[in-house]
Amino acid sequence: MRPLTPRRLLLTCAMLAGILLLVVFFSLKFGTRSISIYDLGALLFRTVTGHTDQVSSDFRLIILDIRWPRIVLAMIVGASLSVAGASFQALLRNPLADPYVLGVSSGAALGSILSLIWAAQLPGATPFGAFAGAIAATAAVYFLGRRGGELDSYALLLGGIITASFLSALIMFLMTTISGRELRGMAFWLMGDLSTPSPVATGWLFLVLVLGVGAIYTTAADLNLLLGGEQEAMHLGVDVVRVKLVVYLGASVLTGLAVSVSGAIGYVGLLVPHLVRLLFGSDYRLLIPATALGGAIAVVLADTLARTLVSPTQLPVGAMTALVGAPVFIYLLRRGMA
Amino acid sequence: MKRSRNPLKLAAVWILFGALVVRAQAAAPAPPPEAPAKAAESIVEFHDDLGRRVRLPAVPQRIVSLAPNLTETVFALDLGARLAGVTDFCDYPPEARTRARVGGPINPNLEEIVSLHPDLVLATRVLNRAETVEALDRLGIPVYTTDPRTVEDVVASVRRLGEVLGAKARGDALATQMQQRLAGLALRLRGLPLRRVFFVVWLDPLISTGPHTFIADAIRHAGAESVVNVAQDWPQINLEEVLRQNPDYLVFAGEHQDDPQATIDSLKKRPGWSSLEAVRLGHFAVVSDALDRPAPRMLDAIEDLARQLHPEAFAPPAAPPAAPSPHRGLD
Repeated sequence: MRPLTPRRLLLTCAMLAGILLLVVFFSLKFGTRSISIYDLGALLFRTVTGHTDQVSSDFRLIILDIRWPRIVLAMIVGASLSVAGASFQALLRNPLADPYVLGVSSGAALGSILSLIWAAQLPGATPFGAFAGAIAATAAVYFLGRRGGELDSYALLLGGIITASFLSALIMFLMTTISGRELRGMAFWLMGDLSTPSPVATGWLFLVLVLGVGAIYTTAADLNLLLGGEQEAMHLGVDVVRVKLVVYLGASVLTGLAVSVSGAIGYVGLLVPHLVRLLFGSDYRLLIPATALGGAIAVVLADTLARTLVSPTQLPVGAMTALVGAPVFIYLLRRGMA
Repeated sequence: MKRSRNPLKLAAVWILFGALVVRAQAAAPAPPPEAPAKAAESIVEFHDDLGRRVRLPAVPQRIVSLAPNLTETVFALDLGARLAGVTDFCDYPPEARTRARVGGPINPNLEEIVSLHPDLVLATRVLNRAETVEALDRLGIPVYTTDPRTVEDVVASVRRLGEVLGAKARGDALATQMQQRLAGLALRLRGLPLRRVFFVVWLDPLISTGPHTFIADAIRHAGAESVVNVAQDWPQINLEEVLRQNPDYLVFAGEHQDDPQATIDSLKKRPGWSSLEAVRLGHFAVVSDALDRPAPRMLDAIEDLARQLHPEAFAPPAAPPAAPSPHRGLD
């Protein structure tokens, strides 16, 4: 493997950022109403230079007030879930770890629903509930996955699947027994939905994304050592407990917040870090920023497909990511067994 | 040289990104409704069923309906010409099918709605999501949300919608007519025992309706009561419980109406069901799915159900009904 230089890090990130900009541009272009590339370019230029008044109000509404906030949310959610996935993979030393597969997303969803039932009027209750649910689910999976003091790959995956199905059953139970009007549309949200982002939530989420990814990034060098085994890392002077705590909390925060605004969008956290590893190697100092950008690209692409494939009807974006993600998961699992 | 360019590029991307995020946040206060040319037109203000203040033109000209029952109501008020968009599920009257579609009630396509330039969007609390209403709000499109929970609420809602849509006289007339038909029906059914019915929302799995739904109230107006008494709105019911309650009638609406006879024949052969008294006696009532649509047409379905459950009240010689129903023309 080539050594990681600052130059390679920047080049890779710049390239991914370029691809992201391109994807965002085309996502802005495609939708129910078509807009020519020239018109879109002019619109963006005028917006960035502050001449919004020269833009046709129709396009301004559709492109800037409907498509753009949705794309921003897709980017943030994609980056959060992917970095969370990469973090769980390091934390549990398992390349198949993913917030969705491990049941962490289900924990966050259950947390959101409980907070809607008990504390709907409190501001910020839903993201906090989702965060608490994600933390609890991660802890449960972690303990289920231990065998003889060591994390066992298969016990971990089974523990995650069982946790996910148990939590899903609890969610079904709540949704059938409680006829609270707030729970309507929840089935749709559970499939992953980015259609109605609130600007305030998006702003907060962006802040948390930066903080969460930043916190995890500070441990990147230690994570590289940790991949070789906890004992070995400890001998090399890594404060294993602190690193694991930071990564665990950071990944749970990222998962919880992504789920609280967009429902469970599965497999992004699995697929993206894996592809990034294939392309750029597994050095966490590069993997984390590259995964964040890659996740943003993946979810923007998936959401663009979700809202254009059978337009004007929209598919849940979670269905799109699962359609691609589940087969790849099986492939990785089988390859890992061979 | 190359090395110094890249961080700059990266920084520029992030600054642009940040600027646009801030921009998205700044969009929070709703921009003024577009087309200032129309400013001369008078603006009126209403409180909708959620208590939200809604400012809209006195006579909205381009209406988007986000629920089948609202589409029906707008047509029943003779304002169908002003309906610009409807949902995928708006199938009545057939003319509704000719309007632009904006997707399903739960996940309507905001882009499609915006490009129709509506001056009013109608929504319901039951079928639509609060998130959709909030998103339209942010886009500066007035949304009026209705929330009728009983048959009486529907009458009031029709009257109110007439007012909101700038057709107060028609709304009043239609609502009064509905009231008269309800009063006439109540008169016919006076003194008759309530039929104990089991309402089949879905057969496999068996889903019925709780006592707090609109359907349950419609059933009460047809001189019947549901044997299901649980807190949930759409509970899944055990066949054992149906047998224990031994309802007088099984009621089907909508979905099963396509081929009610086939459903009934299959029930007669099913173990458990076949020993149900209502099945053995052939006590089935089949009504249109209008029974579950809080719109003027629900009265047809309620009257139809009453006629099937209490044929004696409608027996010949047909006395002139207490209220003539010119509205039957909608059938």
